[in-house]
Amino acid sequence: MSHTARYLELDGAEVFVELAGEGTPVLCLHTAGQSGVQWRGVTAGLAARGHHVVVPDLPGHGRSEPAPGGPVTDLGEYAAWCLRLLDRLELARPYVVGCSIGGKIALDLACRASDRLAGVVALAADAWTGDRPPERGLRRELADVAAPSRTDRTYLGTLAVLGRSVPAARAELIATMHRREDPAVSTSDLIGWTTHDLRERLPDVRCPVHLVVGADDLWLDVPAVRWAAERIPGARCTVLNGIGHYPMEEIDGFDERLAGWLAELPTG
Amino acid sequence: MVTTVRTGWFEDCAVGERRDLGGYPVTENDLASPFGLAADLLRAVVAVDGWLGGSWTQVRPPRPGEPLRAELTTIRRRRSAGGDTGVVTWHLALRDAGGAVCQEGTASGRLAARGAGPDPVGRDVGTVAWGRALAERLGRRPAFAEALASWDGAVGLRAGEDEVQLRIYRGRVLEAVARTPRGATFTLGADELTWVRLLTAEDNEFMRTAMTGGFTVRGAGYEYLRLTSVLHLVIDVARELALEEAP
Repeated sequence: MSHTARYLELDGAEVFVELAGEGTPVLCLHTAGQSGVQWRGVTAGLAARGHHVVVPDLPGHGRSEPAPGGPVTDLGEYAAWCLRLLDRLELARPYVVGCSIGGKIALDLACRASDRLAGVVALAADAWTGDRPPERGLRRELADVAAPSRTDRTYLGTLAVLGRSVPAARAELIATMHRREDPAVSTSDLIGWTTHDLRERLPDVRCPVHLVVGADDLWLDVPAVRWAAERIPGARCTVLNGIGHYPMEEIDGFDERLAGWLAELPTG
Repeated sequence: MVTTVRTGWFEDCAVGERRDLGGYPVTENDLASPFGLAADLLRAVVAVDGWLGGSWTQVRPPRPGEPLRAELTTIRRRRSAGGDTGVVTWHLALRDAGGAVCQEGTASGRLAARGAGPDPVGRDVGTVAWGRALAERLGRRPAFAEALASWDGAVGLRAGEDEVQLRIYRGRVLEAVARTPRGATFTLGADELTWVRLLTAEDNEFMRTAMTGGFTVRGAGYEYLRLTSVLHLVIDVARELALEEAP
């Protein structure tokens, strides 16, 4: 099975993309401030199950160069960027799977380009956060990106939103890796997360969608995720007990679970 | 009908003690009470020598006939100045079938003391005695001194109306007092029930509590954020202290 990584130029900036396997393409999108490394436990297994797995680092994240216009505060910009990436890689009718802002970007893609997608699995995302966390506070934090104890708050804040079923050693690894962020980028991502409102656009989605939320996810209310699923024609909603905001990092064998969900999405 | 609680002596009441009082079917009469069902129920099931006051909150009105479960928690305990009596505060939550709180209330009652004390202080959050016991344990944690090696200020810790301030200079707690000369740099506050949960939960819930709005912070917000990991450690140590007095 092929498993490679490459840099390509998009919008005048170098983008890092990991590519594995052959078959139906699956674009995997990471969370705010993080990178494609969050999918490292999933990529090979998903590829072995007959998928062409594509894991980019969004602009300004991981090994990708910064977005030419500076940190992105509009998730719609990321969605448009993903469509240009699909063109660039000549990926036809991919599945899009994302978590947190990645999940919301995936939902945005379903709203704006259903005809180009085979389907969407949106983890830890809803259509509208109701200004939680408040945009005003995030903009204050952006004004002082060396805000006090930022890495401690990212570390402890990650531990706080992980599911109660996650073993301590795995939780520690996830939280420690989440500290590797650029606060200017992740805070901008969160502004995008809290201001992006997809509520009115959900009824227009025409591709299959599956919303997945952890019952222990402090960032999301399960009823808000169900509400979004009810408004997307034919959408499914799954609640994961004992799981928090990062299912692909928290669940052992997530590749198998995800492959099952993709197989269950309606076709045609 | 819910179980009646035998309180016994002042010393028999332990902060953090939780009792499931069973199911309670709501009646039309209950809904007419001006004090709220939770407050009425609390005063009906707990036997004390005299009630001193309380409060109640309605999250949503209960429906007649709705089966609610009553959960009683002891949240505060203080010996009176005379020494022969004490005041105990309880919290009562009425939960619906889905586990959501429908009504909650607190009430404080006076009880006779068996002896003259002294009483354990490990769960008396916000008192000077608790602050001193906490400071003494923090002094044994190198991580505390390390994290605060360049810090000069005072941290207030408040439960309900009770606040103790830890005056800290370069990693050492100089004193734990009700009021430092220049006041607290910031005060971390929560109601007594939130503190009971923090002290008795399976894990350190500091960050979850902070992220879900369970604390009120007064004073310098910047310094509060700066001391995030320190406060996490303070809660760790407060939990150890509380565990020594598990009921």
